[in-house]
Amino acid sequence: MKTAMERTRAWDGYVKKYYIYAVLLFMVTLFSVVKLDRVAFFGRGHFLSPDSIVNLLRSAVPILTVCGAFTLLMISGHIDLSVGSAMSLSAVAFSWMILNGFALLPSLALTLVLGIAMGFLNGFLVMKLRITPVIATLVTLNLFKGIALLIVPDGLSAIKGAEGKIMPAWINNYGRKEVLLGLPWAFYVAVLIIAAMVVLQRKTIIGKYSAAIGGNRTSAELSGINAVKMVWLLYVVVGVFAALAGVARASYMSLGDPLSGDGMELDCIIAVLLGGTAFSGGEGSVSKTVVGALIIMCVTTGLMTVIPAFWQTMAKGTVLIGAVVLNHLLVQKRMNQA
Amino acid sequence: MQAALKTASVGNSDGLAKGKMSNDSFITLFMVCVLAGVFLLACVVVPNFWLAQNILNLATNYWYVIILGIGVTFLLVTGNFDMSVGGVIALTGVLSVWFVQGANVSRNELANGLGLPYGVAVAFALLCAMGVGAVNAYFIAKLKVPSIIITLGTMMLARGVAQIITQGAQRNTSLPDVFGVLGNATVGASPIKISLLLTLLLIVLAVVVERKTVFGRRTYLIGANITAAKLSGVKVGRHLATLYIASALLAGITGILLASEYKAGVSNRATGYEFDALVIVLLGGTSIAGGFGSVLGTVVGALILSVVTSSATGLLLSPDWQFLMKGVVTFLAILAQRYALDKRKG
Repeated sequence: MKTAMERTRAWDGYVKKYYIYAVLLFMVTLFSVVKLDRVAFFGRGHFLSPDSIVNLLRSAVPILTVCGAFTLLMISGHIDLSVGSAMSLSAVAFSWMILNGFALLPSLALTLVLGIAMGFLNGFLVMKLRITPVIATLVTLNLFKGIALLIVPDGLSAIKGAEGKIMPAWINNYGRKEVLLGLPWAFYVAVLIIAAMVVLQRKTIIGKYSAAIGGNRTSAELSGINAVKMVWLLYVVVGVFAALAGVARASYMSLGDPLSGDGMELDCIIAVLLGGTAFSGGEGSVSKTVVGALIIMCVTTGLMTVIPAFWQTMAKGTVLIGAVVLNHLLVQKRMNQA
Repeated sequence: MQAALKTASVGNSDGLAKGKMSNDSFITLFMVCVLAGVFLLACVVVPNFWLAQNILNLATNYWYVIILGIGVTFLLVTGNFDMSVGGVIALTGVLSVWFVQGANVSRNELANGLGLPYGVAVAFALLCAMGVGAVNAYFIAKLKVPSIIITLGTMMLARGVAQIITQGAQRNTSLPDVFGVLGNATVGASPIKISLLLTLLLIVLAVVVERKTVFGRRTYLIGANITAAKLSGVKVGRHLATLYIASALLAGITGILLASEYKAGVSNRATGYEFDALVIVLLGGTSIAGGFGSVLGTVVGALILSVVTSSATGLLLSPDWQFLMKGVVTFLAILAQRYALDKRKG
């Protein structure tokens, strides 16, 4: 009897550990079986052709850049709905600077400072003024979006080269120019960031502290953790990486679109939930979020080729709710029982 | 029960001190003063702001957000969000159009519908809206999923269905004349539209429910102390379900009125209305910490938002300013209310 129970428990453990890879495999198989050759977007090819894989990874750069820090923040029991807008604003600011004659490094540095400022503001509102994270970041979402829209001149939809002012071609160097295996610098930077975040979560005190704060903030504070500083720092980190994602996007598209980051927060939430991070924080894994992010990119780019664009919203919503259900079945239910 | 109710009323009327105004009313009054201040300022700064026609517009501009705000207020009092209202507006609007469009009347797919009578179409569309509310309720009350995550999901689902039915655009042809009546008809010879009258009725109804019914008081109890509410026998799950379905129903009514007013089902109608509804509720002093807030406050919040946005339009600022202003105003309101409450406690 006992062995049977132990066996179930071990099985449960396996499911919890590896289900996300099964989901990824399922998605990849699904889209590979569906013939994509009538669509010109990927070139005439298969979902698993090198071209389409490179394309998928390239369009995954922004979410890969942000999702690691976002997971740490969710583990600490906080949320940042403003990542998408922070990304848009950074894209707009970066391309505005490039368009107006700044060199690459100064504009990159200034955009990252902007990211720090945005993260700092979120942290200040949530941790110092103690406004509920959802409300505070929902309002900063609209603040950042408003500023991005205001920077773009009236009558234009984005910051882009026009008569008299031409966007220099080297803006592409970071986000589009192929450096290795057909992938740009931005991708490798994103990989480095993810590696750093995985180490940060598993091997450093920061990861332990965020889990402790998410698990039980009061007891974390009583045992000497400065929750305010810790979470504030996480907000700043998320802000910086959102800014970097914005730079990557602007550099890829050669323009600053004030709506380019819309929906990023939802993609991040889906990735985090798919990765099995608990809603309420306290438990989770950066590396699994990355797999979750790849799943979403499979779904978005895969679906884009087989169904009309107006199905996208519905598809994303379904994936989000599916992620919630999966998360409930595999993580939350067990936590509630424990 | 008695003890629990007392817990609930602490945040609410400051220990039931005799003759002293409750904190809810205090904040509402405070925001009325803010409204008056903002209004006077706008009258000075913005040309022609004081004209009777403009003031009438100010008061009636945001009727649809007020209807949404009623549902969102009750939910926020219990500590929950509803971000799906904008999506539900789009969904019911599109559905009501699709249901009444004549069947097989045209080669254009977007002109063909199901050919139902208008009344039946409205009833079905509202049922679908309540279905979205029921999904929200199931996930939040049964599975304990945070409301913000699941309602963002159902928002996308609802809007997604609307986009699929309209193929990402809108449906506005082969509609019977009766379709445009509800949203455009006025009461008698006066210029008051039916939708405005309905808004007033709903406000009165909501205030009565909030102040005078057991249901309303239990809503505050759940927000103030959910454990106490459970222990004193309130069926919290069922209560939240009712509130979510009611909120979706209110959004559905709004969707049908808006679709009728424009005689079209547009799939991206009401984008961002969920944020507007949240903003007016927060401006009205409702607190997410739970157990605190009032529908009248929300109405005042809507008026403040109306004054602020229309004075921006009056000053010929670009519409892009609205995002920024809504954000700043909300933060200022939250902080001002907190400061005022702290001062009051002494």
